[in-house]
Amino acid sequence: MPRYAKHILFIVAPLVAAFAILPFAYNNQLLLFNFVLFLTLAQGVNVIYGFTGYLPFGYVGFFGAGAYGFSLLILHLHAPPLAAMGGAAVAALAIALLLTPLLRLSGAYFSIANLAAALALMQFISNPNLEAITRGPYGVSMTGVFNPRLAYTMALIVMAGAMLVAVWLRNSRFGLALQAVREDPVSAAQAGVDVPRARAYAWLISAVIAGLAGGVFAWYVTVFYPENVFSSDYSIFAVVFALFGGVSTILGPIVGVLILYGVYNFIGFSTPQYFQLIYGALIMALVLFLPQGLISLVKRRGIDVP
Amino acid sequence: MLTYSLLAGLLFGLYFSLVGLGLNLVFGVMRIVNLAHGDFLMLGAYCAFWLYTLFGVDPVFAIPVAFVLFGLVGLPLYYLLVPRLLAARDPEMLSIILFFGLSQVIEALATIAFGTSEQSIPGGDLGRALREGWGRLTGHEIESGPVEIFGQSFPSAWIISGVASLIAVALVYLYLYRTRTGYLTRAVMSRRDEALATGIDVNRVSAIAFGIGIALAAVGGVFAPFMLGSITPAMGVDSTVVSFAVIVMGSLGNPLGTVLGGLVYGVSYMLVQSYLSSWANLLPYLLLIAILLVRPSGLLGKRVRLA
Amino acid sequence: MKRSVLALATLASTALATSVFAAEAPAEIKIGHLYASAGRFASISMPVDYGFKLWADQKNAEGGVFVKGFNKKIPIKLVEYDDQSNTATAQTLYNQLITQDKVDVLIADSGSVLTSVAVPIARDNKMFLIDPTGTGAAFFSKDNPWIALMADPVSTIWPKPVADWVSQEGPKLGIKKVAILYATNEFTGTQANAARKFIKDSGAPIDIVFDQGVPTETTNYTVLINNIKASNPDMVLHFGYAANDIAFLRNMADAGVKFKGLFCIYPGIETELLEKNVGDKGLQYVMTYVTSAALQYKPEFGMSLPEFRDAWKKKFPDNKVEFGFNSIAGYTTGLVLEKALGEMASLDQTELRRAVFAQSGKLKTLDGTFALDELGGQIGELTPLGQFVPGEGGHLKLNALYPPDSATAKAVYPRP
Repeated sequence: MPRYAKHILFIVAPLVAAFAILPFAYNNQLLLFNFVLFLTLAQGVNVIYGFTGYLPFGYVGFFGAGAYGFSLLILHLHAPPLAAMGGAAVAALAIALLLTPLLRLSGAYFSIANLAAALALMQFISNPNLEAITRGPYGVSMTGVFNPRLAYTMALIVMAGAMLVAVWLRNSRFGLALQAVREDPVSAAQAGVDVPRARAYAWLISAVIAGLAGGVFAWYVTVFYPENVFSSDYSIFAVVFALFGGVSTILGPIVGVLILYGVYNFIGFSTPQYFQLIYGALIMALVLFLPQGLISLVKRRGIDVP
Repeated sequence: MLTYSLLAGLLFGLYFSLVGLGLNLVFGVMRIVNLAHGDFLMLGAYCAFWLYTLFGVDPVFAIPVAFVLFGLVGLPLYYLLVPRLLAARDPEMLSIILFFGLSQVIEALATIAFGTSEQSIPGGDLGRALREGWGRLTGHEIESGPVEIFGQSFPSAWIISGVASLIAVALVYLYLYRTRTGYLTRAVMSRRDEALATGIDVNRVSAIAFGIGIALAAVGGVFAPFMLGSITPAMGVDSTVVSFAVIVMGSLGNPLGTVLGGLVYGVSYMLVQSYLSSWANLLPYLLLIAILLVRPSGLLGKRVRLA
Repeated sequence: MKRSVLALATLASTALATSVFAAEAPAEIKIGHLYASAGRFASISMPVDYGFKLWADQKNAEGGVFVKGFNKKIPIKLVEYDDQSNTATAQTLYNQLITQDKVDVLIADSGSVLTSVAVPIARDNKMFLIDPTGTGAAFFSKDNPWIALMADPVSTIWPKPVADWVSQEGPKLGIKKVAILYATNEFTGTQANAARKFIKDSGAPIDIVFDQGVPTETTNYTVLINNIKASNPDMVLHFGYAANDIAFLRNMADAGVKFKGLFCIYPGIETELLEKNVGDKGLQYVMTYVTSAALQYKPEFGMSLPEFRDAWKKKFPDNKVEFGFNSIAGYTTGLVLEKALGEMASLDQTELRRAVFAQSGKLKTLDGTFALDELGGQIGELTPLGQFVPGEGGHLKLNALYPPDSATAKAVYPRP
């Protein structure tokens, strides 16, 4: 069996199946929905950070763009939700194309510029002068599309898509080329990799993943404010989860979300008064003691992790 | 209206130079992103607030207290966090996450200690002791009200924070260009690996820079109750983002660049607030992106930051 | 052996009892609630939470709250989570309250943003959402019966008294030019829009000479104040959150600017917070909403304002969370619930909705008359226009100005 088939059969399929079945056994469906959402976003971060080394600190910009792309089609064109999902992807893609020049920046400069771009987009969308188009600061409220079951199913499909992208990157020449660029862009260019183009592709793919996640979120909640869908918590959570598991693998982000978001909710349910404190300390400990993620514990023993 | 906005922008910008100054040092020397910068500013603000509330200390005298106190906090914090961080594979990126965690911890502790509601210090009490001292010395009492510049009146806090900012910049400049440690600091700034190879105690130099950086954030915080309306434990995030805009516009390592960045930020902010007020918060972000793309090394910078 | 027989007998008699009465009384009523101890919304969330807790603790000290269907007092069990002002976390937690903790009553966090995520969840689960202060107009729609606003009116109703005063009384006092400055968020932006519309629609000879929105995060108003001054208005209406009002009023004092007439939202809502930050002098002659924190409504149900204030000071002596309108809002939410439970035949959600709506127009608390429109929006608990004037001993006094039936004094205009 080829490697990618193994990865699909033993990682992606069980994960999707589990989250398809879980709602029947556990009825806090929103918790499950958020798990699916963060699995998608963490994998999206993995695509750009794990495979190119660019840390998208304003990743939520695409999520928000997707949420608004979805909502605007519903509000103004009364599009069916499925078609509006296309709007979510297009909106995120358009923003990503606009921001492609940021890839010229290195290291922290890229991250900060990306964060600034996400904040700028939020300020733009929530400006009262655009009330007629985006509802400005007064928030989006969609009637007639409320259907959490269908939105959950769509979220599963989007997550499956994000996972398949990771499988593809892990097993394709393109993914290999990206990693080569990450390790040493000069040698990669000499070896015939079109460095800027490879990075741009990863960037656009990762943006579309977040955009679709944003669209599905908008569909699920139907009422939201700009602050909700541009909350920097989404970027930070997605990055921290991906990092905790270990990037540039398929499994890392999945493990990261399942464990860390699980712990997050456990703290939230059990000791809410010290929520922020415990979580902040946990993040610090993670960076100081496990900078390569959980996966590195296994890798150190010479085991190859998909 | 135009003159007023311009002048206000310059004064406001000076204050933001002070806010960004410490971040510039930390980022410049260690290449780590201190996302908790604004939270140290917040702590500095509470330091001034409690000194004022409990002991009636004029916030002007809270400046040296905050500087020493937070400098002393910064040194052990450096040894606790940074060497370990720098040993990792991608410290620049990881620092964003590490300091985000720290920022969460600080905000949580501050909330537990101080509560969530807005606090402030009466506007006229900044520099009151100085004014009274001056009055006793010369017999001329200075009134506490607004100050006139070019026929426009500004709150006295703006002038005092502007002056404090200029002094801070001058001191940092002297430190970097006129002292031996400062010279070594600049060496570490330009090539950390080479500095290490030539036998410079990089950790010591960096620790001092880190301490100064955090101390400067706290000093900026002393003025926050006057410049930013009021203070809350959650105020840190916004200050951090503006600080980044300011230091990226200037250039790393050069305190004069931070002043320029602050002034550009202040003036453009006030102009937009005057003429297109609802877009005012969009501006720092756009400015930041534009400057990074058009002139990636900052307005005064020489080094390139392209990938 | 004996014991099991006894158990069996008890079981049998219980079964008998349940078949006679409609349902066995539960051991406790589970009330689920979120608060934000940190982040952007902490300062409006914590007072509501404390106010509500005060009510719950008081009821539990009395043995619980009476439910008609069970004809007895049942203790309250509060299930509370901290959403940290994070909407994604809030969603999960709301759903946790509904699906895992299986609460009998669901109470939203305060403020529109954190309430917004609860609206679809409650609706999806057919839970009736008790919304303490989320005034967003979007929540109240014909196709969603699962919500009602408890403690303050929807944002479009708030500014009616101040707008009416400007257009009715203003021209007599020489008010011709009005400046409007607002923070662009749902709560204050909607009020500015409504005020503008009321004034324009009134046909009064009033020009709006300055009309600008600023981002809610704005912390320095010095330049804006200067610009407003340049437009030479007779009356300034500032719609902002507490932090905006604090910055605005402090910047005015620091810059030595005084307007002939000035209206701000928060001096009347969070009076102690504003007094602490702006000082008595900075609030002199400022017009504001007279909320239940200053207006002595005669409550027919629950504590009166002075009683509640005393209870608050006793329970929360550390003063980390200021007493103000939001604390009353939390307590009022408890009172509405208490009254509704007292008339409920069961803890069913449709029954809860019926009982809450049944209070409309009838329940008078320290927060005024509770009144709902058919969508669940609050249209009672109105906020007249008031003005702070120097009272005896240098303390501020809040006069009610408009509408005429609740007025206690004439406006001091222009300010001395």
